[in-house]
Amino acid sequence: MTATRLMHTVGTRAMEWLWAHRDGFRLEPDVDPEVGFLERFKPVGELAMICKVLFREGVAGSRQADLARRLLDHAWRETLDGGRMLVLGQRTEPISPIPFEVYLAFKELGYSQPEVERAAALNHRLESWVSFEVAPTRRLGLSAFQRRFGLTPRPPEPEAFAATWLARTPEPWTVEGHIAYDVTHAVFHLTDWGERPDGLPPRVADYLATWLPVWIDDWLDLRRWDLLGELLVVDACLPEPTLDQRAWEGFAAAQQPDGAMPAVHEMPEGDPDEVFDVVYHPTLVAAYASVLATSRSLTELAHTPS
Amino acid sequence: MEQSGTSTLLKGAVQDLAAGVASALRSGGHGPAGDLPSAAFAADGLAPAAVRVLGADYVLPHVLLGTRPDPAELALLRRAVETYPPRADAAPTVAWSHWAMTRALRRLAPGEAVPAPEPAADWLDTADWRTLTHQLAILAPLALPGEDSAVGRAARHRPVDVARGFVRAVRRRDWAQAAGAARWLTVLDGVPDTLGLDTGLDFVELMGGGDPLVDLQVRAARHLRVGALV
Repeated sequence: MTATRLMHTVGTRAMEWLWAHRDGFRLEPDVDPEVGFLERFKPVGELAMICKVLFREGVAGSRQADLARRLLDHAWRETLDGGRMLVLGQRTEPISPIPFEVYLAFKELGYSQPEVERAAALNHRLESWVSFEVAPTRRLGLSAFQRRFGLTPRPPEPEAFAATWLARTPEPWTVEGHIAYDVTHAVFHLTDWGERPDGLPPRVADYLATWLPVWIDDWLDLRRWDLLGELLVVDACLPEPTLDQRAWEGFAAAQQPDGAMPAVHEMPEGDPDEVFDVVYHPTLVAAYASVLATSRSLTELAHTPS
Repeated sequence: MEQSGTSTLLKGAVQDLAAGVASALRSGGHGPAGDLPSAAFAADGLAPAAVRVLGADYVLPHVLLGTRPDPAELALLRRAVETYPPRADAAPTVAWSHWAMTRALRRLAPGEAVPAPEPAADWLDTADWRTLTHQLAILAPLALPGEDSAVGRAARHRPVDVARGFVRAVRRRDWAQAAGAARWLTVLDGVPDTLGLDTGLDFVELMGGGDPLVDLQVRAARHLRVGALV
């Protein structure tokens, strides 16, 4: 069992870096249409989702919670221009689910942009929205997001989950990087980003409890911090998390003094925007893993007879 | 230079020996264990050392298939046992692999070897799943159905840990360790079904079977697996 302070500190440092580099969350309205205007929305949506987890779990210190609130305000007011950029994105690519996916966490945190909601309600009625081809894990995520938004999930989540790699609990020795990310995201969506650990079917929870320690061990030794962080999140979503000490110590040691978490191996060097684009995701993941693991650790302490 | 030359020769002799054992397992015991002209092989100065490295698996076909070893094979096994006793400060795996050879000799030629007490196995009780699997893979010759030992009991208590070690070895492309772990898994109860051991064994053979030492363990595991189903 890892010291709660170690796990907590990873998160506080990550939030400091995210706040200091908040201008890295930027849209590019003049981007080449071949790249797509909506490409740069994803980091904003991820930021909002992680901040929501941080508020929900209630284990952040006052400084961390304050930074999260200011980051959200910054992202909504500055990056998304009060939600107007989401509307612009929706008008640019009317059938894209990305504005809806980014908007959901903001809506759940009290921000509002009615036109995005109208578009989501309309798109939800389209056969095209149920039919456009995406990876099964993303389809599961879209169904989960529709439920959270108050719509009837299309397809129902059990049906969407059944199409994923994890649902079939395949041979654990075949897992490589892409499969591992599919596993982590399936777990995020099944548990509403760690809010409902019982969203994992028992046989899937058993499968993960059996094999996750091997994958964590492997990606720790490969020093792939972004994926390791996501696997540590999965651990914290299990009925009995291991909060593996060796993995957490390695993860914490990879974090930079300013809070940045490299994606793989060492920190990249170069143009600040390019470094941000490489590093923001593992740093968000570090904040996410930290808050969930800290929360689970405190829960276990509370339930341990003294 | 001389040492490295000897080491290369010994490695080659061990590989040849392993290839012979694997071949005998594949052919169901036709031909002598090791499929080698034992008398000629025994004349080779490296032979006892090679048998010592391969350990009790030198006579595995006889143990698994119930065939009788020829006198030259038994003599060579005995020489290996007597020439290379473990030192007092030997690593547990060295002591145990020697013990396994003594047991095999006793089984195939009752009365020819003095029963030796089991070495201690407590180092396995405190080993994490990575170390446990690594050590068990080295001691794969002890993975036999119906053969009790403290090492076997340690493995029987931790099937999930050995299964994890197998996954780790495959992920790291350590085919020798994977094959040794797979052999243990075939004699353990309580291995998670989701492991996919049968296809895993085929995968290890496909990827690493070019190494006779890997091939030997894959053959042994497959033999034990079929035996276990009967």
